[in-house]
Amino acid sequence: MSTQALALRTETRRQRKRRERLEERDAAIPVELYGLKRGTVSLLTTCCVLFALFTLIPILWMIINSTKTQANIFQSFGFWFASPFDFFHTFANLFRDVDGDGTYFRWLANTVVYSAVAGFGSTVLAALGGYGFARFEFRGARLFFAVVIAGLLVPITLVAVPLYLVYAKVHLINSIWGMILPSMVAPVGLYLMRTYVDLSIPRQLLDAARIDGASEARIFYRVALPLMVPGLMTVLLLSIATTWNNYILPLILFSSNNLYPATVGMGLWLQHAGNSGDANLFPLLVTGGLMTIIPMVALFAVLQRYWRGGLLLGGLAN
Amino acid sequence: MIVFTLFMVVPLAYAIYESLYTTKLIGGTTFSGFANYATVLESGAFWGGVIRVVVFGVIQIPVMLAIAFFFATVFDLGLARFGRIFRAIFFIPFAVPIVVSALMWGFLFDPAYGPFNRVMNAVGFHNFNWLSASLMVPSIIIIAIWEWTGYNCIILYTALKSVPRDVVEAAILDDTPLWKIILRIKLPLVRPAIVMLVFINTIGALQLFIEPNILNNYQAGVITTTWTPVLDIYNTAISSGEYQLGAAMAVVLAFVIVAISVTSLAFRKSGRGVR
Repeated sequence: MSTQALALRTETRRQRKRRERLEERDAAIPVELYGLKRGTVSLLTTCCVLFALFTLIPILWMIINSTKTQANIFQSFGFWFASPFDFFHTFANLFRDVDGDGTYFRWLANTVVYSAVAGFGSTVLAALGGYGFARFEFRGARLFFAVVIAGLLVPITLVAVPLYLVYAKVHLINSIWGMILPSMVAPVGLYLMRTYVDLSIPRQLLDAARIDGASEARIFYRVALPLMVPGLMTVLLLSIATTWNNYILPLILFSSNNLYPATVGMGLWLQHAGNSGDANLFPLLVTGGLMTIIPMVALFAVLQRYWRGGLLLGGLAN
Repeated sequence: MIVFTLFMVVPLAYAIYESLYTTKLIGGTTFSGFANYATVLESGAFWGGVIRVVVFGVIQIPVMLAIAFFFATVFDLGLARFGRIFRAIFFIPFAVPIVVSALMWGFLFDPAYGPFNRVMNAVGFHNFNWLSASLMVPSIIIIAIWEWTGYNCIILYTALKSVPRDVVEAAILDDTPLWKIILRIKLPLVRPAIVMLVFINTIGALQLFIEPNILNNYQAGVITTTWTPVLDIYNTAISSGEYQLGAAMAVVLAFVIVAISVTSLAFRKSGRGVR
């Protein structure tokens, strides 16, 4: 292992952040050189602040209103708190089956399971498939890859109805595999990994390992896989986020409330919220919505440094 | 060798899986020949939905990309303070499920209680309704811009970062004004990225479903069952149980999408040839 890699591993989190910040600063051309009028930077910072407000306002609204009772959500001013502070009461209700539709945390747990399994599965598939397509020439490779590209063009929203028809025949309706399997075979991940392997794993490295007598399995596991980690993290994040957000497929697929993910469950609540006034579903919707956001934001914050948004480009630009 | 076969099997399994549903799909529709397709192609409501989402995309995508490109440039050139923090904030909506964002915007736009309508009433527009038939499309455009600008901005930012530094330095030494550097040097260099984003967002716009489906609960009567093509597919196939007809619609929409994709790929290739 190179000394640089060792150094990377031993530096602390804070040191890393500091180094990244310094590198970013060094890479940028000093603003003074652009010959701008004074105040431009302040003006543009103000633009950023305005757009950040636009971004944060709905989320702020959600946080504030998750503390309110149903009456207050509608009657009090949307952007300020109103007593009584009802957050914990609502939160506790998320664990109960309030109006017979189902229990929110059961749905959220479903979402977590679907996303985790689909995310992990699609990452494994993308790792194997992407590596295979990028570094092996086998019969029909071009044809298979053409199929993958075709899969890329036809989004899951459209596949949902045809899938339903297939499922009706093979009895996969109301089965969690009906939800997980199609989420797992996301062609995007395979495509991204092929690009990533192409760019980041030199053929010579693999050839060198072969000359040293390593088996193909060992080369993949010990040589290629560690180099693929950042790309795989991006695929993992993308596919977890996609499954987490998926609405139409589970909506079509599941008729049993116990299997719903949070998105579909909340959609159902929203439909009923207007009719069944006593169930107080609106605070549950607001607080429940907030609960679906928090894990994703946390996940992105943790894995942010692996995020290779550029991957999406690298591929299609080549 | 084992690994090799594994690589063979995985794509194969995928291909079989893929072909499976296509054959079933066609198998399901061959009973009536092309009658379903004829119904879809003649359906005014279906094409009305297609036109609606096209209008939506034609407005939403350029506006969003302009905002995204503006901020990507600002971040790339370091023209604003706290760029890192703003980048993180702008990306947050990507982590919000679309159902949830439609849900909270629904509350914000709610005709009777929503804070935005209250503000409009206070400013003097009485009985202003963000979710009325005439304003539904613009409101969904606002929601879509909220959801996707940050994501597009980060991708453009990554693309701009890969523009070689010496090109920009040379331009600065020549006393090129900044707006020229941005529009004449940087913009052409990230053109492939922009074309790709237009392409991805167009496919997304054609599939518009969740936002209208959720907002329907706040304002009854505006979102009809055929408001967007995917709503039409969903309502035909699942709610009314006319599976074959819905499947035919899905195929037609898939064709529209593939046609757009192929056109845009051809467009990109020709663009490269010129340069």
